[in-house]
Amino acid sequence: MRAAFGDVARSAGLWHIWVRLGLQDVRHKFRRSTVGPAWIFLNLGFLIAAIGVIYGRLLGQDMHDYIPYLTAGLVIWQYLTSSVSEGAHAFVNSEGYIKQISLPIYVYIFRCLVNVAVTGAISFAVFLVVAALYRVRVGAGTLWVLPGLAILMACTLCAIAILAHLHARFRDIAPMASVAMQMAFYVTPIIYRAESLHSLRWVVDLNPLYHLVEIVRRPLVAAEPAASVSYLAAGLLLAALAGSAAGIIAYYRRRIVFAL
Amino acid sequence: MAGIILQDVDLEFRVDALKHDTFRSALVRFLGRRTSRRIKTLQSISLRIERGERVGLIGHNGAGKTTLLKVMAGIYPPQRGLVATEGHICPLFEVVTGFEWDASGWENIRTRALLLGMSPGEIDRRIEGIGRFSNLGEFLDIPVRHYSQGMHLRLAFATSAAVEPEILLLDEVMAAGDVAFIDTARRRMNELMTRASIVVFATHSLDMLPHFCERTILLRHGRIVADGPTREVVQRYEEAEAEAPGAFAEDARAGRAGGAPSAPASSAK
Repeated sequence: MRAAFGDVARSAGLWHIWVRLGLQDVRHKFRRSTVGPAWIFLNLGFLIAAIGVIYGRLLGQDMHDYIPYLTAGLVIWQYLTSSVSEGAHAFVNSEGYIKQISLPIYVYIFRCLVNVAVTGAISFAVFLVVAALYRVRVGAGTLWVLPGLAILMACTLCAIAILAHLHARFRDIAPMASVAMQMAFYVTPIIYRAESLHSLRWVVDLNPLYHLVEIVRRPLVAAEPAASVSYLAAGLLLAALAGSAAGIIAYYRRRIVFAL
Repeated sequence: MAGIILQDVDLEFRVDALKHDTFRSALVRFLGRRTSRRIKTLQSISLRIERGERVGLIGHNGAGKTTLLKVMAGIYPPQRGLVATEGHICPLFEVVTGFEWDASGWENIRTRALLLGMSPGEIDRRIEGIGRFSNLGEFLDIPVRHYSQGMHLRLAFATSAAVEPEILLLDEVMAAGDVAFIDTARRRMNELMTRASIVVFATHSLDMLPHFCERTILLRHGRIVADGPTREVVQRYEEAEAEAPGAFAEDARAGRAGGAPSAPASSAK
């Protein structure tokens, strides 16, 4: 376990390597496309327009509140799904390096985090535009987004580590995880609000992803901290993910190169 | 002070891991209490390479040369035994993997050099030279996915060769290069070999080996069968070949080692 931890720490110290690799991944995602990273904006823009108009009407929402709420939720959710789908492939995609250069393999986990985080940061610009258009309230409470983001990123880092190890060994993990995320989308209030569920509210309350989204979204759209139970739930989720990640790393660390 | 020490190193591949285990097969194995099939690729390897040594590795395909290099490089963690190395290691093998296919030649040089342990500042200073040495000219500006295999080799070799490591691990890299490149590469390898503290060189070119290495290790089925002055070891290898052509390879296929305890192709608990 200590050796595993040493490997992770050594990887973190090689930041100039994984930052470069991660940024390179972001750039290459759009290398041969004409509009390039603008696809991130277009994608979100169309989604927000379509969902906003249809569901906003359907759910009888006030557009001034609803559009920023929807946008923040979608940006966070896309960040989560891309960490899951890219995270599962973190080792598989770095196979060429892992098999011929003896860097600690966690370099490639951090590489993946840089990739999804930078992509997420780019799409966050969409929220800024929407927030400006709809005059979303900004205040001291908005700063609560920082601890929220820290917890969110720590959670995704652990999730990437878990999925990368498992998927290197069992190649069914990536599709399974993406199906799971698709299902989770319906039980996580992104399009609708938790309050609209009334008697079914407990489904959402038991969903840790809801709380994870909340601790980032609430400060953004309402300039106030999320409910304290959300911080508690997100903290527990982080502890569970970190624990599983540590276990999986300790068990699989030395086998990854053979599984690729 | 550079050095490589291996003690009783065993390395085996689990066959089902290589086939990408599925949940089903893992479950079947778990329920059936069947252990997975294992292939022993290295068996009780012990060796010590000191500063200043240039060591050749010979043996048939599948004898474990590349695997041994990868253990020395720290890429394969062995299941048993001890591996201790001191000094900055630069491995140079399997050169056609580890590219960013959509990135240009220049970008790939940067990434590769970084991964091999060069600092960003050092890369800035040396990238021109690496590009020139690769002799790829304008091709360096286009994505490497359009390169031929020989060009990949040039790019990888030029970058790795610029690293100037203390320990250089080489795996027969020159097979895919053209005549001009082989010449340059050989010259550069000569330079590197004189500058690096330790060189371990896996090869099939028995005639050029004595020029590079004074010591040679002969591998067979993942075991060291001879370790000594290059001429003697090469001679022994050639004699064995002359007596029973392909004997080493035959053994490998049959999964048994003459004299040495056999490596069971499968083991059941």
